Amino acid sequence: MLIFGVLRSGLYSLTSVGLALSVGVIGIVNFAHGEFLMLGAFLGYWLFVSYGVDPLAAIPIGAAAIFLLGGAVYQLSIRRVLRAPELNQMLLTFGLSIFLQNLAIILWTGDPRVATVSYKAEALAVGPFTLGVPQLVVFGLAMALTIGLYAVLGGTRVGKAMRAVAQNRLGASLLGIDVDRIYLLAFGLSTALAGIAGMMITLQLSVSPFIGLLYTLKAFAIMVIAGLGNINGVIYASLVLGLSEAFVEFYVPQGGGWAEGVFFFLILVVLLVRPRGLFR
Amino acid sequence: MTGRALVRGGLLLAVLAAVVVLPLWVNRTQPYYLQLSINVLIFATLALSWDILARTGQLSLAHAAFYGLGAYTSVLLTTRAGLPIVAGMAAGAVVAVVAAVLLGVLTLRLRGIYFAIATLAFSETLRVITNQVRFTGAATGLVAPPLLGGHRPSQYLVILTILLALTLVSWWVNRSRWHFAFTAIRANEEVAAVMGVDVVRFKVLAFAISALFAGITGAFYAHVFLFISPLEAYSLAVSVGALVAPIFGGLYTTAGPLVGAVVLRAGEEVLRSTVQRGYPIIYGFLLAAVILYMPGGLAGVWASLAARIPRPARRGARGEPAGS
Repeated sequence: MLIFGVLRSGLYSLTSVGLALSVGVIGIVNFAHGEFLMLGAFLGYWLFVSYGVDPLAAIPIGAAAIFLLGGAVYQLSIRRVLRAPELNQMLLTFGLSIFLQNLAIILWTGDPRVATVSYKAEALAVGPFTLGVPQLVVFGLAMALTIGLYAVLGGTRVGKAMRAVAQNRLGASLLGIDVDRIYLLAFGLSTALAGIAGMMITLQLSVSPFIGLLYTLKAFAIMVIAGLGNINGVIYASLVLGLSEAFVEFYVPQGGGWAEGVFFFLILVVLLVRPRGLFR
Repeated sequence: MTGRALVRGGLLLAVLAAVVVLPLWVNRTQPYYLQLSINVLIFATLALSWDILARTGQLSLAHAAFYGLGAYTSVLLTTRAGLPIVAGMAAGAVVAVVAAVLLGVLTLRLRGIYFAIATLAFSETLRVITNQVRFTGAATGLVAPPLLGGHRPSQYLVILTILLALTLVSWWVNRSRWHFAFTAIRANEEVAAVMGVDVVRFKVLAFAISALFAGITGAFYAHVFLFISPLEAYSLAVSVGALVAPIFGGLYTTAGPLVGAVVLRAGEEVLRSTVQRGYPIIYGFLLAAVILYMPGGLAGVWASLAARIPRPARRGARGEPAGS
């Protein structure tokens, strides 16, 4: 059970770290975050079914495509509300989310699709446990990417610029950092991370236009647990969510259905008890 | 009474008469339109009751929670306890109000985005619970007894009465001292409190009024469509619709949410017959478009149009930009 919880948290942290980037650097709580994940999943599915490209191998293509899309969305809409009231920003991304989801329904219908990769059912025996190969691979990659992002933020010039902008927009611009470009970059990166997470979902689960919202909400839960905009707490918060979901699934009768509610419950409790987040 | 007031009153009466008579008259040949009118009125009631809460600066994503609570309470009481439907609907409204007061008190400290996320979590938690518990019919849902023997014209008059009552309440709120309290809280809670506004009381009161109408509308919907399920009664689409209509029509006004609801539902009907699926795309598109290009909604457009026509007798435009 512990292992299932941990494995699941890999995908969660990859999804949430993207959202945390958008919230932390730009200050935009992006309700459409999960929709980019959904588009990434469809892209992965489509590349696999039409061209036989393995979703994992297609990750660079998908990431680039979703990065461009995210950048375009930023230029066309997000950029115009940066100085607007917070609620207007929220409503705009909420509208984007509804728009993208229904666009996907119009284009591809609401039916779930499954990409069957050759190694989908393969499992590895690790000690007394049997673990699915796709789950292991996804966990490893997701964690590597999340940690990679931390390294980029911590060590490179761009990463440092992003952190500077996150701390103080005006101060950063006085130091000669092109704030607008950093925002564009951060938003594109944020959506690209969601897109990558989406392509990984193609490996394990079915793809449908409705998955976006679910992941947006789970990413919210994780961010609320970590503290809004706290990028570093995301990994721990993902573990909290992944483990509590696995716990409910295993120990509560009919746990599968209840597990769906775990993250909402966590949001409610954390917001009411400690709105600053647990890991801050 | 001045001449203008007479004209206004006459116009209002004419609209009212048309709203009462037209759908019933059309019903003789095309029952579909009466059904559609009922849907529009349900939608309009949700939109306007959401707006009353929003006037205190609380942009909620929990409207579906009160709608669903009203529906489930009424159906459970009428089917399991044998209560008459009217009593069930009243109980549905009461339960919604109690839940709203609880949620309102719990979320008092939360602002903006935190408030929105917490209310969404509340609504979805209720859905998950209802989906799991056998007593509430779990995922399969419940069959509801028909209101007034399923007589559509009478049902239409019931929802019309509910909406008219809500319209009066909303109109009164915007005319009375409450208007200033609500606006002050929305603009700045701390300042409002310093000025002597009882912030807690007004925020919770707005929650209660808003939930009262959402709850009774949910109960009405259950007894008109005769079936409820967690996915539909607690649907995020309900909360979304209740939020987009006022924003599109014009926030914090009485007419804005009503007009927004009618126009949106009409647009949705057109899309429904052309693209068949994914028609809620109109909500997303309009929401984004309004935020980007017409921050006052239809009411804002109306006000700026009216401002261009010089008319000294006019008492200034009352439109207000979104999120101010």
